[in-house]
Amino acid sequence: MAEAQTFETDFWKDANLRKVWDDIVPGEPRKTIPYTLTKEAIELYCKSVGETHPIYFDEAYARTTRYGGLIAPPSIHILLMFSCTPADDWMRSPGTVNAGQSWSYNIPARPNDVITLQARALDKFIKRERLFVVHDNVFFNQRGEVICSGRGWTIRPM
Amino acid sequence: MTATFDNLSAGDVIDGPKFAVSRESIRLFCDASLDYNPLHLDDDYMKGSFGKTNFGGIIMHGMNNFGLISRMLTDWAYPAGAIHRRLETRWVKPVRPGDTIQPSGIIKAKQTSEKSRWVLIDVMVKNQAGEKVATGEALVEFPRDLFCQ
Repeated sequence: MAEAQTFETDFWKDANLRKVWDDIVPGEPRKTIPYTLTKEAIELYCKSVGETHPIYFDEAYARTTRYGGLIAPPSIHILLMFSCTPADDWMRSPGTVNAGQSWSYNIPARPNDVITLQARALDKFIKRERLFVVHDNVFFNQRGEVICSGRGWTIRPM
Repeated sequence: MTATFDNLSAGDVIDGPKFAVSRESIRLFCDASLDYNPLHLDDDYMKGSFGKTNFGGIIMHGMNNFGLISRMLTDWAYPAGAIHRRLETRWVKPVRPGDTIQPSGIIKAKQTSEKSRWVLIDVMVKNQAGEKVATGEALVEFPRDLFCQ
């Protein structure tokens, strides 16, 4: 399993390779890549939203909890969505506007988990002259256990 | 007071922490989430229109709201031995650098299922003007085998 070694932060690069609304086929799987979630990545994510709970940082404390060790915050899927998809994924298209999301949580992601994603567009429609796509995602750990599943609504760039 | 399933009532309020939004906080969220959409980075790009919408400048990631609501829920749930199980949100107003936002929740209902106990929570994020920028609903499980932290 090859993993992406570097992350392209210029979302304009490869923009011409990405599917536009017309090309997106509901039901068709998106390309995904496995990603090893590091403690450092969890800590950076925590910093960005002000998470300070010791269950994310303090191994000795975390061992005393129901989880028996360090975990990532449930919303770590925000990072996983981009780390588990390649540069030509249409979620990176500049101008993609997030209209809302719903997520269900099964078990937490943990440092050093190798995360995989199964994802697809589920639906697309036009509403008030805007082009919408509904996307559907499930993240798994290296044991094939579901971490979380979610659905999002995006307005596609025109 | 730490929440327990029995002492919770519809209408009880959960207050989340205030969050000051800045260009730096948005850039940090780019680095932490790997979401480098120019909506959050490029002022020139944001002078343009998106279909019928013109934002007029860079905006915070909608998912930053999501992360703040999630943080509020877990900080409330962990001491009670409860588990954050679901969060549904939609964004109703853009958030910009200079805004201060704050998530909150209101207990909507309690429900017992065959194997567990559940609390439904209406959630929202408001800006410094008291305007709702995000709304949604969350589900927190209070397992019968409580493991308080």
